[in-house]
Parts: sequence; C-alpha cells; structure tokens
Amino acid sequence: MGVEELRSGLATAMSGAGSALEAADRLCRACVDLLDVDGASISVADQGTTRGTFGSSSELSRRMDEYQFTLGEGPCLDAVRDGVPVMVADLSDASHDRWPAFSGAVMESGIHAVFALPVQVATTPVGALDLFNRRIGPLTDTALTGGLVAAELAALPLLDVMNAHGDLDAHAEAEYGWEQLTSLQRVEVYQATGMLIAALDISPAEALVRLRANAYTRGMTASELAWEILERRVNLNNDRRWSATDTGSDGDHGG
Amino acid sequence: MADDREHRIIEAFVELADSLASGYDAVDLLDRLAHSCVGVLDVAAAGLLLADDHGRLHVLAASSQAARELEVFQLQSDEGPCRDCYHSGTPVYVPALDEVTDRWPRFAPYAISAGFTSVHAVPLRLRSDTLGALGLFGTTVGALGDRDKALGQALADVATVALVQEHAAADREVVAQQLQAALNSRVALEQAKGVVAYVGDLGVNQAFDVLRRYARDHNLRLTEVAAGVVNRDLTAQQVLAHARARSPVT
Repeated sequence: MGVEELRSGLATAMSGAGSALEAADRLCRACVDLLDVDGASISVADQGTTRGTFGSSSELSRRMDEYQFTLGEGPCLDAVRDGVPVMVADLSDASHDRWPAFSGAVMESGIHAVFALPVQVATTPVGALDLFNRRIGPLTDTALTGGLVAAELAALPLLDVMNAHGDLDAHAEAEYGWEQLTSLQRVEVYQATGMLIAALDISPAEALVRLRANAYTRGMTASELAWEILERRVNLNNDRRWSATDTGSDGDHGG
Repeated sequence: MADDREHRIIEAFVELADSLASGYDAVDLLDRLAHSCVGVLDVAAAGLLLADDHGRLHVLAASSQAARELEVFQLQSDEGPCRDCYHSGTPVYVPALDEVTDRWPRFAPYAISAGFTSVHAVPLRLRSDTLGALGLFGTTVGALGDRDKALGQALADVATVALVQEHAAADREVVAQQLQAALNSRVALEQAKGVVAYVGDLGVNQAFDVLRRYARDHNLRLTEVAAGVVNRDLTAQQVLAHARARSPVT
C-alpha cells in the first residue's frame, strides 16, 4: 500500500467521528486494519506527566498501554520525553535495563514487540501512538510509514482531549482530517499561538488547544481565527471566549 | 548602477560566508538570504521552500509578506513553479506569467493579481536529492539573464550548505534531522514573534527585528532566543527593553 493510500485510509477512518475519543478509537482500529499490527493505542502525555490512555483498538491494547501509567515506565513515556520513536522489536531483549516491570507485564499478555511513535503539536510532544505485535520483529516498511502518518493525525483528537475548557466543545463540531491538521500548521497560526502564550500566560501546546477550540465555537478554521487575532480583532483578555472588539475603539496597533 | 550591484553581490556573499564560518543559525541565515536575493537579482521578492521528511513543502523564509503568500498559495493549491521545481529538481523559468495560465490556472492569475509578472524557481539540491526550492518573483516581464541564473543557483546552493552541515551530508537520516530542526526552529521563531508583537504592541515584522537584535547583541542564536521567549525563560519585556535602549524610536 502506498503512502497516499495509507494517508487517505487513516484519515477517512476518523472523519465523521462524533467525539475526540471516538476519532482516536477509530484511528487505532484503522492502524490494526491497514498496518498489519495486532494492536494500537494513543496516550496523552502533557508536559511530561502522562495523563492516560485515550484511544485504543481493543481492550487488550488499552490494558497494555495503561500498564505504562500504573508502572510509571514504558516506551510511550520515553517517546514523549525524548520526542523520538522508540522501537522495541523484541521486548525480552530490552527488558533488563529499560522497563523491567512494563516488559514483564506486557509479555505475560502475549505481546512481544512495542513501537511508540511521538505525537507532536507545533513541535511540542503531547502524546504517543503505540503499536503492539504478538510476534517478535521490526515493523514492516508499510507499518512504519503508516504509523508515522497515524501519529500525525492523532494530534487532532489529542488537542481536543487536552482542552480543559470542555464546555467549548459541547456545541462545536470538531472535525478530524488533513485539512484541519494543515490549518494548524500555518505561519499565522504559529504567530497567533505566540500572542495567546503572551496574553493568557500558557504553554504553546495549551495555546494551540484553545485556538482550535475557539475556532470551532466560532465556526471558523484555525487559520481564519489566527488572522483575526493577528489583526487584533479579538480580545484575548476575555479568556472564556475572546469576544470580538470594535476595531476602531482600540486605536492603532501598528503592524 | 552596475558597480552598485556588484558591490551588493560581494557584500551578500561575504555576509553569508561570515555567518557560515561563525556558528550560524540556519533560519536566520536563510531569512537574510531571501532578502539578499532581492538585492542582487533582478527580482522584487524571494521565498524559500523546504520539504519535510514526508516530502511536504513548508515556507522557511521569505523576503516579504507578498513572497510568503505566493509560496503559501502554491502549497495550498498544489500548483506553481516552485512546487514543480521541487518535484522535477530542475529550475523553472517563467519570463511572463500571463503566458502560463494554462499550466497553472490558479497560481498564474493569483500572482498577476498580486502585481507580479515573472517567476523563477531554483532547486535546493544535495547530490541527487532535492531539498526544496528558491522562488524568485519579478515585477517586470523578462527572462533571467545567464548571470542572474548562475547567481540564483549559487544562492540556492548557499541555502543548501546552510541547511546541511558538510560532515553530516553523507548520512541521509542526519540530513533529514537537520532539515526537520530547521523547520522546527521556524515554528518557535513565528511563535516568539507573536509573543513579542503582543507584549510590545508591534507588527510581527518589527517583532522579528527586535528578536534578531537581541540575539546579535547577546551573541546568541536567533533560534535560542526564540525558544527562550516561547518557553518564557526569557521575557518579552527583556527583549523589548533591549531593543528600545538600542533605538528609542521603536
């Protein structure tokens, strides 16, 4: 299967999901269907502290993933911390030094290979996509390529689940796909994110979370809202919902 | 006039060679390179596209907002000379945009409506790979002279050298990491511009100048300063205060 086919197959699996959780579950199941792995899960790890398993292809995958949080060690945590993939083709090999408790627990369930791919939002690691195999051995080329693509797509539902102001989501229709991801990877979005960092005293990842959530409640794309912010047409000091200000009243802001 | 241009060319290359020799910052250098293109070539604007490891193009540097928009438009509409140049690995010279509306039915009218009449795109080449493309946008109709073609390729080669450190060039994976690092530092730089623009009530271009001045005067890399501002290790107030002290007009 070619990259383009994988890209569209994985994205299609998520489209139309009713919630971030459902989108993540669907993405994990698509990984199992398209990449020939036995299981997949997505976990959120904001600011280095893992917050938990969030999407999974099956109950077993969820359990595998959750071992990392109960035991405080595992490839996903390392992948998020270092921002690089952690590939373990044979858990019995690595068990001695890296994650003795995790490896033991997972192998007892019949899983022998784990691959953790970091999920990043605007270069900030926020979580990981874990792929599990019963058989020993490295990922196939297709599985690796598809896994990296899926890790990119996983950023969208992760951003939504990180949204502490959950109420913003209630009446907003979140969408999951390449278009939404591309909209978040534009220069104006990065610049507007910077303004949010300054105005609300929050981290870059949190700024992106709020930008996306606010864009949805306003029925705009992230890029459109970013322009409004850059042009100072949005009052950032009103944290709950940055209300639009009268452009004339605020004076000239240069730029 | 010719002497003046000659002088600018030498100056541009000396400046680029200087920064290459003295622990440069790739993003900063490429931004200057985009501006140099406008000074030494017969073009009005220049933009630089770099591919990530999935082969998707990103705007890494631009001499002006107009240049940035022309590059972004090509990425969004998936057509245009810079995109074609990247995919073919060969230069694309368009002396008259109104003659290529069939080839690029969306890009050509867009560029014309933005006031441009000619476009030239030069590949960033590393052996048999193409890393990206340098887009040169003109406001006068006409072919690029042989000298300008050679000069354009030379500037694109400098960009490649800046992106890929020589000792690493043999290792494809290390090259990919360096290119990704350059793209990543661009993200932090844009975010830092937003922070400084908001706190200092400035335009994003002014914010860029403020950040660059702070970096140069403190002998820091622009990327380090940008990361510091975004992570709030370095406050925007400090950076702004420095710029104000240097030039009270800000």
